[in-house]
Amino acid sequence: MTATGPLTGQTDPARHTDISAALAVVEEPPFRVPRDRAELHLFLQAALTLEHLTIPPYLTAMYTLPPGTNRPAHYAVRAVVLEEMLHMTLVANLLNATGGTPLVAHSRFVTGYPARLPFSRDKVPVALRHFGTKALDTFLYIERPEYVAEPPGHPSVADDDGWTSIGQFYNTIREGVIRLSRKLGEAELFHGDPARQVGPKDFYNSGGEVFAVTDLASALKALRVITEQGEGAAGGIHDTDDRLFGEVREVAHYFRFNEIRQERSYGPHDTPRSGPTGPAMDVAWQDTYPIDPEAKVAHYPPGSAVRRAADHFNEVYARLLVVLERGYTGDPAVLGAAVPVMLELRDLAEALYRNPHPDPAKRALGLHAAATYEITDRHFTLARDRLSEAPGATALPG
Amino acid sequence: MSGSAHPGRRRYDVIVVGAGMAGSLVAKRLGDQGWRVLVLEAGTGTLDTWPGHLDALDTFASAVAKVPNSPYRPNAVAPSPDVLDVGGLPGGGYRAHGYLVQRGALPYNSDYLRASGGTGLHWLGLTPRMHPDDFTVRSRYGYGRDWPIGYDDLEAHYRAAERELGVAGDAAEQADAIGLPFPEDYVYPMREIPRSYLDDVLAARLDGHAVQEKPGSAHTTLRVVTTPHARNSTPHEDYDGGRGYRPVGAAGLPNYGERCVGNASCTPICPAQAKYTPLKTQAAWSRDVTLVTRAVVSRVLTTSGGRARGVEYQEYDDPAAPASVTRTAEADVVVLAAHAIENAKLLLVSQLATRSDQVGRNLMDHPVLLTWGLMNHPVGPFRGPGSTSGLEGFRTGAGRRTRAPFRIVIANWGWSWPAGSPGADVARLLGMGDDSAAPRGRGLFGAALREELGRGISRQFALQFEMEQEAEGRNRVTIDPLHRDLLGNPRPVVTYDLSDRVKRGMAAAKAVSDQIFGLLDAEDHTAYGPGPFAPGHFRFEGRDFVYQGAGHGAGTHVMGASRETSVVDQWQRCWDHPGLYAVGCGSMPSVGTANPSLTMAALALRSSERIHRELSELRRPLTVRTAHAPEVRP
Repeated sequence: MTATGPLTGQTDPARHTDISAALAVVEEPPFRVPRDRAELHLFLQAALTLEHLTIPPYLTAMYTLPPGTNRPAHYAVRAVVLEEMLHMTLVANLLNATGGTPLVAHSRFVTGYPARLPFSRDKVPVALRHFGTKALDTFLYIERPEYVAEPPGHPSVADDDGWTSIGQFYNTIREGVIRLSRKLGEAELFHGDPARQVGPKDFYNSGGEVFAVTDLASALKALRVITEQGEGAAGGIHDTDDRLFGEVREVAHYFRFNEIRQERSYGPHDTPRSGPTGPAMDVAWQDTYPIDPEAKVAHYPPGSAVRRAADHFNEVYARLLVVLERGYTGDPAVLGAAVPVMLELRDLAEALYRNPHPDPAKRALGLHAAATYEITDRHFTLARDRLSEAPGATALPG
Repeated sequence: MSGSAHPGRRRYDVIVVGAGMAGSLVAKRLGDQGWRVLVLEAGTGTLDTWPGHLDALDTFASAVAKVPNSPYRPNAVAPSPDVLDVGGLPGGGYRAHGYLVQRGALPYNSDYLRASGGTGLHWLGLTPRMHPDDFTVRSRYGYGRDWPIGYDDLEAHYRAAERELGVAGDAAEQADAIGLPFPEDYVYPMREIPRSYLDDVLAARLDGHAVQEKPGSAHTTLRVVTTPHARNSTPHEDYDGGRGYRPVGAAGLPNYGERCVGNASCTPICPAQAKYTPLKTQAAWSRDVTLVTRAVVSRVLTTSGGRARGVEYQEYDDPAAPASVTRTAEADVVVLAAHAIENAKLLLVSQLATRSDQVGRNLMDHPVLLTWGLMNHPVGPFRGPGSTSGLEGFRTGAGRRTRAPFRIVIANWGWSWPAGSPGADVARLLGMGDDSAAPRGRGLFGAALREELGRGISRQFALQFEMEQEAEGRNRVTIDPLHRDLLGNPRPVVTYDLSDRVKRGMAAAKAVSDQIFGLLDAEDHTAYGPGPFAPGHFRFEGRDFVYQGAGHGAGTHVMGASRETSVVDQWQRCWDHPGLYAVGCGSMPSVGTANPSLTMAALALRSSERIHRELSELRRPLTVRTAHAPEVRP
C-alpha cells in the first residue's frame, strides 16, 4: 500500500529556515521490535510522549486565533487536539494493561520546542507557531499518510535504516504486542490492574471513544484508532469512527489540516489524490496573533505582567499533566478534574496572546506574547504541592 | 394567494405541525417505523447548523437584555412572544405589546419560541417527573382537574422519554426524597449532574431542619435534592441492563457537547450543546421524515365527516416580509405540536373541537416567586447549570388542600433573574440609576469596580418557588379578528389571572423563604413592588408580591375522560375529529410542580404508539369472505 498523497513532499522541511536554535531531540527507542515486556513499556512510553508532543503546537495554533475569528479552522484544530488527548489516553491504557506505569508529569515528558519530529527520516522542526501556513505545513508533515516501511527486522528493511516514519513506529509496536502476546500468552501479557483502565465514564468522549484495553483485540483496536484517526484508513481521507464507534465518519487529521491549508473542504467523493474539491473554507490567515516561534519566558522582562502570565500558564499546564498522571496511574475518575484545568488554560491563553510582545524590536514586527510550554520539575513540584487548593480541585474525587 | 387550487399538494401518512420537542419526538418515532412524515415548522431552521448556533451565541452575547428569546433572531411573519413584551406600570398594573394580546387582570408573563427546535432551544433542561398525586388533584384535594390516566400509565413512557432526551439523575434519591416510584434497580442514562458548591453550602445548613408555613402549622423537613437534567453527564454503566448509554453530542458539529462543562447560560442557550434540544432528535430522524421550515400552518382541514385530512399552510421566504404562498398538504393523521397557545389558536381558527367549549381554556403556567439574598461568604454563582438541586418537600401533602404546592429551585445564576445581574450590578456601581435620562452619579472604575463586583456577585444566590397553577376555565386563549399578524393569521388573545390558592401558595412560599434565609444566616434582598420591571406585581392580604412566568404554558386543549368536558382523550386524540391529535403541554389537566417538558415528551411518545396503531389499522386489508348459505336441514 502506497498512500502517496499529492501533497507528500510538498512540505519541504528546508523551508522552515526561520528556526535558529538547535532542535530538541526526543529520545527514540532502539530500532527493533520490542522483545520483552520492559522494552514494550519503553516503546509505549515513547508513544505517549509522541502523542503529547503534538498537543502544544496544535494548542498554539488554536490559541493564537483571536476569539471568534477563523471559526471553521478553530473547530477543526480543536477536534484534532481532542483526538490526540484520546490517543494519549489509549496509549496509557495499553501501558497499564501490560503492567507498565505511564510517566506524564515529568520534565522529561515535555520536550522543549522547537523539537525535531521523532521517528522521521527528515529533520522536521516542530515549533510553537501561530495559526498560519507554516504551522499548517508542519501539522501536515506530522500527520501525513505516507508509504510506511515495514517494522525493523523485515527483509525489506535494513538494520541500520533507523526509524523512517511514525506509522512505522506504531506498526512496530503492533508487531511487538502480537509477538509478546504469543510468547507470554495473552492473559500474561495483559495482566495489568483493570481498575487502572480509563473508560467512557471517565473521559469526555469526543471523537472516538476511550475504551478499556484488556486483551489483544482491544489493544490492536486502540492502535488502529490512533493511526487511522490521524492518517485516514486504507488510502482514503476518512477515519473509521463510523465503523469503530458508530459515530459520524470524519475526515482524518491530515486531511482536516489540508482543508484549512487549501482553504477548501473535501467533498464526499474526494480522495487523497484529488485533493479537496468541495465548498470553499473561510480561512483568514491575517486573523491571528503572530508570535515568535522560539519565544521563551526569559525573553519577557522579569516582573512584567506578560512574564507573570507566561509563567502562570506553564504552572497551570504542569497542573494539567499532574492531574492526567494521577488519572493514568491511580483513579481514572481523577480525569474529570482535568476539564476545569483545560478551561483555565483557555482563559489564560486568551489573556496572554492578545498582548504585544514586550520586546520593542519584536513588537515592531507585530509579534505578540505567547505561552512557551517550558515545563520544569519546579513547575511539577509546585503543581503537586498545591493541587488540593488549586481551582478545579473540587472536581477531584474525594 | 396562488392561482392554482393546490400548488403544493402532497400526500403523507402524518403531518406534524411544529418542530419543537413534542413534534420532533413524534416525527422520530413514526419515521423510525417507516411512516412518511411531513413536519411543518412556522419559524426558521438555521439553528441546526453550527454556524447558525454560533450566530445565536453571538446574538445572545451582544443582547442588552439576556432573556430566553434573546439569542434567536426575530421573525416578523411568524412572531414569538417575548418576556420583554410585558412591562409594569409605576403604580401597579401592566402594559403589554408584542405578539400576544393580553386582556387579563394579571399578565401571562411567559414566552415561547417559533423556530425549528422550538422552545426546547431555550429551556433550562430540568426533567423532574410529576408526583403521582399530581394526576388526581380534583379527587384528592378538591381543585383543578384530574387526569384520565395516572403516573403508572405513564411510567414506562417516562423512561422512554428519559432515554430520548438523555437524562442525568439519581433515581434512588428521587425515590427516597420525593417518593417517586421507579422500577426496581432503575438508573437514569447518566449519573446526576454534580451538586454546585452553593448546593453543598445550602445542604450543610438546611438538611434536617424543619420550617413552618405559619405558626402552628405542620413542620416540613428540608433536604437538598439533586434535580434530573436532560444534560450530558457521566454515562451510567448500569443503564439499560448494563449496556450503558452513549451521550448525544451537538447538532451540527460532530464530537462536541458530550458533557456539560458548567456554562451557566443553559437558558437561553447552552454553548456546548450538552443540553438536550429537539435538534438532536431531528438529527436522528429517518429519511422518511421531511421538514419544511418557514411554513405557517393556518388551518386544519377536515372531511365532511369531521376526520382530519390535512392542513393549509403559508410558505414564506423572507422572515421580514409579509409575503407567502398558500399550500395544502394531506395526510391520514394530523398532529398539532405547535405549543399550547398555538395549538389552541389553530383549533379556534379552524373551528374544530368545539363540542366541549374547552379549547383555549384552562391556560396554566408555573408562576414563579423569586427570593434573593447574599450569603455571608462567596458561593460561586454563574458556574454550572442554572440549577442543580432543589428542595422538594412542598410538592404535595395536606397543605395542598388550601394553597398551591410548590417546588423550590436553588438558582446557580445569582440574581440574574430577579435583578438582571451581573449587568445591573455593573450599572449600579458605575453610578447609573434606573432612569436612563437622569445624569449619572459618581461611580467606581478600574480595580475598585472589579473588586466591589467580585465582593457582591460572588455571594449572590436566589431561590425560585415554582407554584402549581390549577386549571381554570377563565384563564384562556381566544382569537379576535381585529388582532392579526403580518400573514393575516389571528394573534392569540390571552386572559390570565392567578387564583387565591396560588396567591396563598406564594404567601406560604415567602414564609418558608424567610425561615430558610434565617437558617442560612443570609442577607435577604428580596423586595416586591410595582415598577417597570415588575409587571407581575399584585397585592394579596395586605402584602406586595411579584411573580414571573416560567414559560410552561399548558392546559389549552385539555385531556379528559369525557368528550363533553375535554378536548382530547388520554391519547391526545381530539374527541371530535378522528385522525387529529393535539400533543404537548396543552393536553395537561394539571401541571403539578415539575417542569413539564419531560411529561410532555412522555405523552408524545405514548401518543406516537397510538398513532402507529391507527395508521396500521387504516392500512389493514379487508378480507372479503363469501357468505355461507344457511345450512339447509333435511
